[in-house]
Amino acid sequence: MKKAAGKEPSLRDLGEALVAYARKCGADEAEVSVVDGYEFNVDVRKGRIETLIEAGSRSAGLRVIKDKRTAYASSSDLDLGTLRRLARNAVRRAELGNPDEFAGLAPAAKERVEAAALRLFDPEIARLDSKRKIGLALETEMAALRDRRITNSYGATFATNEIRSVLVLSNGFVGEYEQTYCGLGVGLQAGDTDHRVEDSWSSSKRHFKDLERPEEIARKAVERTVRQLGPRKIRTQNVPVIFEPTQTAWLMGFLFGCVTGTAVYQKATFLAGKLGQRIGNERITVVDDSLIPGELGSHPFDADGLPGQRTVVVERGVLKSYLCNYYAARKLGLRPTGNADGGGVGPSNFYLEKGDLAAEAIIAGTKKGFLLIRTLGHGLNSVTGDISRGAFGLWIEDGAVAYPVSEVTISGNLGRVLEGIEAVGTDLEFLSPVTGPTVKVAEMTVAGE
Amino acid sequence: MNRNPLPYVDHFGLSPADLRAVLEAALSSGGEFAEVFCEHRSYDFINMEEDIIKETAEAVSLGLGVRVIRGDRTGFGYTNDLALDKVRKTALTAAAIARGRAVAPAVPSLRPRALRRSVYRAASPASAAGLGRKIGLVREAYAAARAYDPRIVKVKVHASDSLTTVCVANSEGLLARDVRPMVKLVCSAISEKDGKRESGYWGGGGRVGLEYFRDVLTPRRIGEEAAREALTLLGAADAPAGEMPIVLAPGHSGVLIHEAVGHLLEADFNRKRTSIFWNKMGKRVGSPLVTIYDDPTIPAFRGSYAIDDEGTPPRKTLLIEKGVVRGLLQDKLSARLMRGAELNGHGRRQDYSHWPIPRMANTFIAAGRDAPEDIVRSVNKGFYVASLSGGQVEDSGKFTFSVSLGFLIEDGKLGRPVKQATLIGTNIDILKRIDRVGGDLEFGLQTGTCSKDGQDVPVTDGCPTLRISAMTVGGTS
Repeated sequence: MKKAAGKEPSLRDLGEALVAYARKCGADEAEVSVVDGYEFNVDVRKGRIETLIEAGSRSAGLRVIKDKRTAYASSSDLDLGTLRRLARNAVRRAELGNPDEFAGLAPAAKERVEAAALRLFDPEIARLDSKRKIGLALETEMAALRDRRITNSYGATFATNEIRSVLVLSNGFVGEYEQTYCGLGVGLQAGDTDHRVEDSWSSSKRHFKDLERPEEIARKAVERTVRQLGPRKIRTQNVPVIFEPTQTAWLMGFLFGCVTGTAVYQKATFLAGKLGQRIGNERITVVDDSLIPGELGSHPFDADGLPGQRTVVVERGVLKSYLCNYYAARKLGLRPTGNADGGGVGPSNFYLEKGDLAAEAIIAGTKKGFLLIRTLGHGLNSVTGDISRGAFGLWIEDGAVAYPVSEVTISGNLGRVLEGIEAVGTDLEFLSPVTGPTVKVAEMTVAGE
Repeated sequence: MNRNPLPYVDHFGLSPADLRAVLEAALSSGGEFAEVFCEHRSYDFINMEEDIIKETAEAVSLGLGVRVIRGDRTGFGYTNDLALDKVRKTALTAAAIARGRAVAPAVPSLRPRALRRSVYRAASPASAAGLGRKIGLVREAYAAARAYDPRIVKVKVHASDSLTTVCVANSEGLLARDVRPMVKLVCSAISEKDGKRESGYWGGGGRVGLEYFRDVLTPRRIGEEAAREALTLLGAADAPAGEMPIVLAPGHSGVLIHEAVGHLLEADFNRKRTSIFWNKMGKRVGSPLVTIYDDPTIPAFRGSYAIDDEGTPPRKTLLIEKGVVRGLLQDKLSARLMRGAELNGHGRRQDYSHWPIPRMANTFIAAGRDAPEDIVRSVNKGFYVASLSGGQVEDSGKFTFSVSLGFLIEDGKLGRPVKQATLIGTNIDILKRIDRVGGDLEFGLQTGTCSKDGQDVPVTDGCPTLRISAMTVGGTS
């Protein structure tokens, strides 16, 4: 972490001073978060550096509550004069809102999670020199471009982030931790101009030593790109759809959006009112866990200052818990789950638990089906659970890949997808905070000709 | 306007001489071009849900980014500490990309450039209005949606406004300033019947003041339209699946042009030869009925600006003329590297912590001659796209857009409403299949945002009623 110059107040001092000032201005309760980040990013393309960014930045966020009325403020200008003005304005603005019986800070938790035990910070990242970082990106792209089938490159990127976060609440809670991220990836094209296919692969970790090696990333990016060459369009039909882990990841992201307490009280999810009910078959167990050491989504405390925890969201098909910040939990009469993020609810490590079949076995056991490898467009509606997205995939026949397919859509409904998952793979990896293994859905509509 | 309600106020404390010194530091390691982009943004937000003004927020963003170019390499640094020594340090970080002895000529002295006619229409700037007045607008939209029908069970209204002050200086002697207003009021409504729920969305705004919500689009209409969409969807059937003729409603459907054409004519994708269009300048790629422009100078529009984020005054840019590729959306880096390319003011960035890249502003397909009713009547069995919620494209030309509300066309008439579906196609196929273009050019909601390389910028799209002879619809029935 780059140290701030000598005389400046520490982030914690700044947070405490601002909380005290907001209270002095008339706030019943106040919360201040301060973030200090350092970013490095290099993009290389065709063997040359394209862009190099190095920068540090700070920002502060403030929440005040007065007479059960809430106001927020934030600033990237940490001048104390600016921050005080924002605090004064916030208290004044709070008076213009309406009282909300559920507004208020969470009481400070008795339990604390030890940040060090979560292994969120890698000191090696701060020690990497620019040459090494640039070299990793160059090496990754070069390894990919050695493959003759690759006809163009989007370039390779290596990036690191070092972040220190401080949270101070007027209820006495003070929390502080450091975390790091690093990422390495490459994007490629294959085929001639009018018949291009593209894909990419990247690895993102908190610890440098856990990052996939350049040749591994290149190999995966090449493989993922060239397997799409020479696609066919297929006729419209209902078939089994196999989701690769990268695709299960967005499916889980969609499910997350449907199980937040915020979406539930807003009735913006088809899973509102389904707590305790069966929403999928018994193969489905979904967990949100902020306490897995070293993983991308782990954190010692959330934006309400509540400790991270492991929450079983769906257990063998039964919806066991919504994910809540303190506000949504109070509103719904539930317990907060340590998922407060900004003013809303965010995932920590949110994943579908692995099953007992190897991905290869799932494919081998499919007589006819569509292996989904990439999607294009958004097409997810949490109010209804409806899914409709542009899709790229591989056509499966008699348990093996027959040919690539493009320019089709897949559609269905998350509720029916969760009921229809007939196989769950063993290949769960935390490539991203929201993730899952290979799954096979009994039937979805693949629309083509 | 005689009186400019949005005068330039310096938030940066850096004199032209300071900026020049920073630019010289940025060029000290052999850079050929250097630029400083200073930005101050104040932002207000109001959220109403559950029948109460639940929260308000205010944000201040202040910082600057320094960019140094040598050949095709860019060094970039940013800081939100504007003390001169910190700014110089940021310049030296960006300068390190070049690594060598200074080669650029001395930076000329910087003189502010006079802005031409303003594209902003904020007679009553939201940034200067009291919170109470803005809360009044939010309540009006909320009440209208809530009262529209008893089946409307939840309503959410967001209002936001910002005032962004930018100052761009570069090593060619440019010093340009701009003060940009922005307002947005959106409503989402959820309807419920027999345990089934649907949602509707509507909104408006742009580079305007609060008078817009009296003269152009009232909060009441925003609330009612959101409610109406949510109710229509309650009675909607599942969308059809497979290839069929498509008719696009005017306005919203501009998303199709944004995805299918706009992105792939951004200069960076063509310079790098990743776009399917890179070798098609001057060539026919679509039906002769198709003419497409991007125009950042349309007054009051969300995508408009007086200068782009590199200080270039923008101009209306012809992209496709009667089906033939005629132009690219340029920024400085691509124009430098594509020797002889002219700047057209499309270098934009999300904020000071990002560098500029070629972007769209207000993209539209020009009006044709057909009567919209005739276009619908010409389709025996097909799909009418009434409103869209977004789209995506990749460089191969494959693109999608998501329909939030559609109608079946049966025997030349609009039939049952149908629910959301994604449509997919390849741009050079679809552009050839546009076989009817209406005379009714309209623009979509003034609420849109476009994402590219992790940067979000405000945009609008427009189009007249269009017919596409066949396209794949991703429904389930």
